[in-house]
Amino acid sequence: MLLDTEKNSLKTRLSPRLIGEGTKFERTRRITGYLVGTLERFNNAKRAEERDRVKHGV
Amino acid sequence: MLSAIIKRNGTSVPFDSAKILNAVNRANKAVNAEEMSPTDLLFVTEKVCKRLEAENLRHVEEIQDVVEDVLIKYGYAQTAKAYILYRAEHAKIREAETYLMDIYKKLTWSPAQEEDIKRENANIDGDTAMGTMLKYGSEGSKFFIDNHILPKDISAAHSNGDIHIHDKDFYMLTETCCQIDLIRLFKNGFFTGHGYLREPNAIESYSALACIAIQANQNEMHGGQSVPNFDFALAPGVRKTFVKEYHSAFADYIQVKTECSPGEALALERKIYSAVGPEMDMGARAEYAAGPECALDPDLLPLARKAHAHARDQALRRTDRRTYQAMEAFIHNLNTMNSRAGAQVPFSSVNYGTDTSPEGRMVVKNLLLATQAGLGRGETSIFPVQIFKVKAGVSFNPGDPNHDLFKLAMETSARRLFPNFSFLDAPFNLQYYRPGDYNTEVAYMGCRTRVIGNVHDRSREITCGRGNLSFTSVNLPRLGLEAGGDIRKFHALLDERVDLVFRQLLHRFKIQSSKKVRNYPFLMGEGIWLDSDSLGWDDAIEEVLKHGTLTLGFIGLAETLKALVGAHHGESAAAQELGLEIVGRMRERADAEARKTGLNFSLIATPAEGLSGRFAALDRKKYGLVPGVTDRPYYTNSFHVPVYFPINAFRKIKLEAPYHALTNAGHITYVELDGDPSKNLEAFEAVIRCMYEQGVGYGSVNHPLDRDPVCGYVGVINEVCPRCGRREGEGVSPETLKTLRGKYADVPPWK
Repeated sequence: MLLDTEKNSLKTRLSPRLIGEGTKFERTRRITGYLVGTLERFNNAKRAEERDRVKHGV
Repeated sequence: MLSAIIKRNGTSVPFDSAKILNAVNRANKAVNAEEMSPTDLLFVTEKVCKRLEAENLRHVEEIQDVVEDVLIKYGYAQTAKAYILYRAEHAKIREAETYLMDIYKKLTWSPAQEEDIKRENANIDGDTAMGTMLKYGSEGSKFFIDNHILPKDISAAHSNGDIHIHDKDFYMLTETCCQIDLIRLFKNGFFTGHGYLREPNAIESYSALACIAIQANQNEMHGGQSVPNFDFALAPGVRKTFVKEYHSAFADYIQVKTECSPGEALALERKIYSAVGPEMDMGARAEYAAGPECALDPDLLPLARKAHAHARDQALRRTDRRTYQAMEAFIHNLNTMNSRAGAQVPFSSVNYGTDTSPEGRMVVKNLLLATQAGLGRGETSIFPVQIFKVKAGVSFNPGDPNHDLFKLAMETSARRLFPNFSFLDAPFNLQYYRPGDYNTEVAYMGCRTRVIGNVHDRSREITCGRGNLSFTSVNLPRLGLEAGGDIRKFHALLDERVDLVFRQLLHRFKIQSSKKVRNYPFLMGEGIWLDSDSLGWDDAIEEVLKHGTLTLGFIGLAETLKALVGAHHGESAAAQELGLEIVGRMRERADAEARKTGLNFSLIATPAEGLSGRFAALDRKKYGLVPGVTDRPYYTNSFHVPVYFPINAFRKIKLEAPYHALTNAGHITYVELDGDPSKNLEAFEAVIRCMYEQGVGYGSVNHPLDRDPVCGYVGVINEVCPRCGRREGEGVSPETLKTLRGKYADVPPWK
C-alpha cells in the first residue's frame, strides 16, 4: 500500500497531469435525414456505408 | 407399462397415455375422413404403448415417431399426415421461442458495441436499462405479430426479406407520424393526458409548451413528430412578450421622469395608452400617436412620445434577448428530455422560413443563432431536425423579405448540418401552395416523410394534423437478381410484390382503424389529428385516419439496375431511364390503388436505417456475392446514386431530382462536401440553388462535423485536433487549455 502511494506520487511529480486522456473525438453524421451524435451508435451496415461515402466535387 | 417419459428439456415426467389418445384424436378431427371411434382411439393408443415398452422408448420425440408409424400401419394415413403437420407446427413455435429467448439473452448480456440488434436505431441507447426494456418489448411484440397476427404469406415475405414491414413491433398499436399545428393546440390550453396547461403568454412558455406537445405526441406514435409552421406558431409568443415588455418599460420611464409612485406611473401609462386605440405590436408604431385616432390630452403628448421611443427600443432589445434564450431552451430541451420511458429523446422536426412578420422572423433568427452556438459545451444539437422552407418571393432571391434568414440558414447548416432545405417551388409542392396559408405549404418530417395530397378528401390537401399511417418496403435488388436481366420478368415480379404490400398495408390499416380515441388521449383526444376533434372518447378512429397515408417504399435502386443492366444510374443514361421507369411504375401502382380505395396510397424513398443491412445480408446468403449488388454490407438508400460512386455534386442532384417528383410520400437528396463548408459558403449556396433549379423537394448537405470534447473545437478533425494539437485519446496540459481559454470562448471547463 505504502509503496503504491509512493510510486503514484512519484509518477505525478514526473509527468504533469494531462487533461482529457482517453477521450475520443466526437463525429456527428447524418443518417436517413436525422443526425447522430456519434458514429459509434450506427449499426454495422450504416457504419460501412459511412466509411464508403465519397465527397462530391462542386 | 412405462412409468415416466423424458421431455425435450431433459426432465422426466410421469407417463400418461391419455395424452397420446388426445393428440391422435385432435389430428383425426382435423381431417374430414377416417373417422375414429373411441374404441379405435383406444386401440391405436394401446398399440403405441406396447411398442414403446417393447423397444424401451421414452423420449417424447421417439414417442411421436411411434405414433406416426402406428397410424400409418393401421390405415389412418390422413390422420397421420395431420399429426405430422401438427408436430411440425409446434416444432416451429418451439424453435421460434428459443430464437426469441436467444435474442433476450443477447439484449441482456451483450454490450451495444458487440450486438448490432442493440444499434438498429442509432438514437436509442441500447445499453441503458430503459433502452433494453424497450427492446424486450419490441422483440416480443415482433414475435407475437409474426406468429399470431400476420397472414402466413405476408409474415413469410417479411422474414425471408422480400418485403420489410417497418415498425412491425407497433403493428397493433400506433401510426407513424404527425405534423402538429401548435397554433390550434395552444388556443385555450391543452391536456397532455397527465395534466392541464393554460394557453401560454410569453415566448419562454411557448417554447416550453412546444416541447411538451412534441413529447406528449411522441409517446402515442411510433415515428417522429414535426411542427410544420414553427415561425407562425411561436410568433404570437414573441408578440405577447413584446407587448408586456413595452408596457413595463413605458411605465418605468414615466415613473422616473415624473418621479411618481409605481402605481401612479402605471395608471398614467394606462391612460396614455387607452387613448391610442389598437394594441401595440412589433412591426407597427414607429411613432406614438401619429394617427388621427389619438384622443390624448395634448399636454401629455411630449412625454408620451419620449416614453414610447424608449419603451419601443427597450422592448425590442429585451424581446430579442428573451427569444434567443427561449430558442436555446427549446433546442436544449429537445436534446435532453425523455420519451419512451427514457430510452431516447423525441424524434422532433421543425419547419420554418415563410413567416415574414417581424415576430416570426425574430423566432427563426434566434433559433438559427442558438443552433450555431450549439449545446451546453458547444456540441452540435441532434434534435430537432430543422427544415428551412425555400420559396421565391419569400426567401430564395435577394430582395425577398426573408432572404437574410435564408442566408443565415445556409451559414448555420454549413456549420452544424442543420437546417435541411425544402423547396416549395418544386412543381409537385407548388401545386398545393396558396400564398399566406401555411397549411398549404409542404412540410417534411425530418427523416423525409411528406404528406399533403389527399384522395380521401380533395378539399383537405393540407399539411397540419396529418401524417403517415404505416409503410412497407420492397426489396428491389432481389427482384433484379430474380429477373436475371429480363426487364419484363422484373416488372411482373414487381407487380406481384406490390400487390402483396398493398394487401399488407390494408391489413394493418384495419387494425389501426378499430382503435378508439381513448387509445390516443393526446393525438386524438386533443384534436391534433385532423378531424379527430369531432369524435367522442369511445369512437373508432377509422374515418379520421383516412387523412393519413399508406405507403409503399423501396431500397437499392442502384443495385437493382446493376443486377438488371450491369450499370447504375450514375454510370449510364440507359440505366437512369430504366430507373425512372421502375420508380414511375411503383408510383402508378400507388396512384391506381388510391383511386380504387379512396385511401392515400403513396410512394416513399424509404429512409431505411436498420433495413439497409438486413436485405443485403439476406440476399448475400441467397445469391452469393454478386458484384455491384451484394458485395457491400448495405443496399444503397432509395433512389440515391451509390455513396461510393465518384460524381460531381451538380450531376448527382440532376440525376436524383426527377425521382423526387415520383416519390410523393417523401424523398431526400444529399450532397457530400469536402472540408469545412462554413469557410466556403459560395459552394454551399451553389449546391442549394442547384437543388432548387432542378426540382428537388427536400435536400441537405453533408460534411464532416467533428468535435474535440477536450478543447471544444468544432469542424473537421483528421488525425490531429487543429486547435489543441492532440491525437485521439491523448491528453492536453492544463497550461495549453488555459491559453486556449483566453483565445476561444467555447473551451469547455475541466475539473
